[in-house]
Amino acid sequence: MIKDITIGQFFPGNSAVHRLDPRIKFVLTFAAIVFVFVANSAAAIALMTLAVFSVIALTRIPVKLYFKGLKPILVIILITSLLNIFYIRTGNILWSWKFITITDQGLMRSVLIAVRIAVMILISCVLTYTTSPTDLTDAIERLMKPLKVIRVPVHEIAMMMTIALRFVPTLLEETDKITSAQKARGADLESGSLMQRVRAMIPILIPLFVSAFRRAYELAMAMECRCYHGGEGRTRMKQLHMSSRDYVALALGAILFCGVILCNLIPPSL
Amino acid sequence: MNILETKNLTYTYSQGTPFAHDAITDVSVAVREGEFLGIIGHTGSGKSTLVQHLNGLFRPSSGQVLLNGRDIWENPKAIRSVRFQVGMVFQYPEHQLFEETVAKDIAFGPKNMGLSEEEIAARVQKAAEFAGLPKVLLEKSPFDLSGGEKRRAAIAGVIAMDPQVLILDEPTAGLDPMGRDDLLEQIASYHRERKNTVLLVSHSMEDIAKYSDRVLVMNESRAVMLAPTAEIFSHGRELQQMGLQVPQVTRIFMRLRELGCPVNDSVYTVEQALAEIRRAAGTAPSKSLSAGNGGESRD
Repeated sequence: MIKDITIGQFFPGNSAVHRLDPRIKFVLTFAAIVFVFVANSAAAIALMTLAVFSVIALTRIPVKLYFKGLKPILVIILITSLLNIFYIRTGNILWSWKFITITDQGLMRSVLIAVRIAVMILISCVLTYTTSPTDLTDAIERLMKPLKVIRVPVHEIAMMMTIALRFVPTLLEETDKITSAQKARGADLESGSLMQRVRAMIPILIPLFVSAFRRAYELAMAMECRCYHGGEGRTRMKQLHMSSRDYVALALGAILFCGVILCNLIPPSL
Repeated sequence: MNILETKNLTYTYSQGTPFAHDAITDVSVAVREGEFLGIIGHTGSGKSTLVQHLNGLFRPSSGQVLLNGRDIWENPKAIRSVRFQVGMVFQYPEHQLFEETVAKDIAFGPKNMGLSEEEIAARVQKAAEFAGLPKVLLEKSPFDLSGGEKRRAAIAGVIAMDPQVLILDEPTAGLDPMGRDDLLEQIASYHRERKNTVLLVSHSMEDIAKYSDRVLVMNESRAVMLAPTAEIFSHGRELQQMGLQVPQVTRIFMRLRELGCPVNDSVYTVEQALAEIRRAAGTAPSKSLSAGNGGESRD
């Protein structure tokens, strides 16, 4: 079922990671992703991986779910690392056959790439698993605020993101319902050629679009009834406040990133 | 003869995640051929999940569903044929309409069954009639119909498959009282005429009381009672503890009994109430007889 996709999902909880200020989580996630690519020695990558797994342990969400989030990306990871094996021809040749050569450097590099992508996905999973969509958009709105000076409609963008995110589960549920209803009338979605399968989607897509438009219309009406007119002069019900926990997280992050830079100096660098 | 049977049916949502919970737990019930079975339960009691197992939309986490004595998952590839035999009308079925015309939409099910053009046309006509859908609407776009008409069109789409068992999940949700009575009356007459099995999921006690032969009560993911309608509503107190209400007339008679009136409180339709008042009045002195008559004429 569609509901089984875990990437981008939010798992409510009360762990230290859950309770962090979403802005801090957002900034740290972004920085961590950058530093996964800054790290280019075995020690540095190992440090990053260790750090990410410690954070995962702190979230108190089963590790299994993180690997489930990794699953859809697995193919991409495999292809990129395979390409790297064959592409890099420097270093000692380990094995060669006709035009295919595998070198030790190529092998190292491809493992590095695989680990980097995997860690990057895990880091973003930590963010989305522990932060509710509304908190996330709040954080984005706050962080983008300076862009208002150059007339970027920050509030409107954030509002659109909130609405879009809010309706993802609703539309998924709707898709499930409509699929069930058509299956109950004998719709065959699992067999047939590609063309037949695409055509079999029509009885699901049309009702889905109809309901999406209906919902959009109803929501617009409801917002207008409450005199919504954009971000001008709008105050927030929930203010974001930094607590001591957030400063600790920032400090730990800074230490980690310094550690990565130091580890980069330790050979073997890749 | 039991047409449908579940054996120790359990279904767990989101297995292996922190959200895992049982939607239905160890449900063993038997549906008799040709009966009108009402299914009641609080929101989240598992009634919708249960009925979606009966036509193979959900695969049980454990336990079995038997149709005519055979496990429907015996051959998972043949599950579609089960869905033709057990028709399912979902809540707000009008959301499933998609074709250009109402007739084509009703024909979607029969077409999937691989029937001939003539057979399909005949079934569309018949189903529209059963669902109380005027013929003039058949060539219209389903999106141009009124809410009530849309719902009838969607129900006709299921009836057109001529299922042995028809399951309706809250078919009257969001309809006005008139539309509700009309629709249920239509379903009842379809049941009488086709003599097939009908399962009606509802939380309107009045509807269940009026039409069901037997009632299944679901509470907190378990099947707690399955008995003839009169018997179910004589357990008024237990039902109330589960957050369910007995029909209004039953409540009146329960109260009357509490006040010391010599009436039987296993009354659950207005007709029965009338008969019970007559009976009670007949045994009482002539003074209260006139009082009973007074109540009757107001009814």
